[in-house]
Amino acid sequence: MSLQKRTLVIVFITFLIVFEMAAYVATTPRPREQFYQLYVLGANHMAADYYPNDDPNIRMGDAVRWYVGVTNFMGSVQLVEIRVKLGNQTIQPPDDQHAFPSQAPLVTAFHRFIQGNETWEFPFIWQISNATSSGGIVRILGLQISNQTIQLLNSSAHNGYNFRLIIELWTWNVDSSSFEFGWFAGTEHRIAWLQVWFNATAVH
Amino acid sequence: MWSWQKRLNERHMAPIRRLVIVLSTTILFLLVLRATIVSSQTADQLQPGFGQALSSVRSAQTAGATPNEIAPLVSLLNKALKLNDQAANADSQMRSQLQTQISQQLASVEAQAGQLESIASQRTFTSNVIAYLSGGVGALIATLAYAYGTSFWRKYRVKRTFQMKISTK
Repeated sequence: MSLQKRTLVIVFITFLIVFEMAAYVATTPRPREQFYQLYVLGANHMAADYYPNDDPNIRMGDAVRWYVGVTNFMGSVQLVEIRVKLGNQTIQPPDDQHAFPSQAPLVTAFHRFIQGNETWEFPFIWQISNATSSGGIVRILGLQISNQTIQLLNSSAHNGYNFRLIIELWTWNVDSSSFEFGWFAGTEHRIAWLQVWFNATAVH
Repeated sequence: MWSWQKRLNERHMAPIRRLVIVLSTTILFLLVLRATIVSSQTADQLQPGFGQALSSVRSAQTAGATPNEIAPLVSLLNKALKLNDQAANADSQMRSQLQTQISQQLASVEAQAGQLESIASQRTFTSNVIAYLSGGVGALIATLAYAYGTSFWRKYRVKRTFQMKISTK
């Protein structure tokens, strides 16, 4: 083989390696970080105006309008559930370190299948439909959420101060066939939750 | 003397032992209660078919199905989920009807996802083969271009050499 032919073979092999590497990069999906985005917006679709007339003291029958949304960055179709819980100052919120959900009583849950990069947003309209006050303890006995009345137990606060609605993100685990709090990104257990504080001092 | 001391020690130990038993029982009870509360939140009334349908849709997606192809399946799954919610609040007769509908919808999703998976995997295989083949073809074209380029360059250099003139300074 002449020197020129040998050079051409070497050049061809070099080009082949470069082009095949380019083909491999083009056809192989890049690994991405897997996560969800969870948010709550106020009545005007902004991170403000969470209370009627900007007053965190919610009266019985005051309709509060929020928008709750989840964006799926997991790269595949997911079944997600938003769990809304009613807590007070003493009930522990979700434990970020150990990925435990809050022990606050469950009020309601919304679930939906969402595609990768899809955002699911829904209006969350709620009002206190039933509450009592005795001995300085205010108990919320009922919440109306999107025209559905939900009876509650054990939701009380001293003088009606510092109630909070805790919004947790749960996802369907195919292996265990159940919803789990948060999600697994590889071996890491991650969680997403939000809370909005309010007072119910004027229900009595 | 020894037996008196022993009895005294036992008398002192009894409340401590009782305290330890009460404390350990309380801790055990609290742990069980915590586990019960957490597990009661994860008890869901979803048919097992939902998980299978979700897995088959994910398989289709992994095989290379596009978001536009997946969208109708996700829409069907959400319809089935809505029916599932209705079934939870319906009477027994209505519930069985709704559950039949849910099963049909989920079976339809699984069947469509299976078809989509085979089409998508074939398409992905073809596009991969084309990509790697085009890499080879590209390398061949680039080598030919290199060969022609060097040949032209050599001819040009020879021509320039023969066009040279020797001039005296």
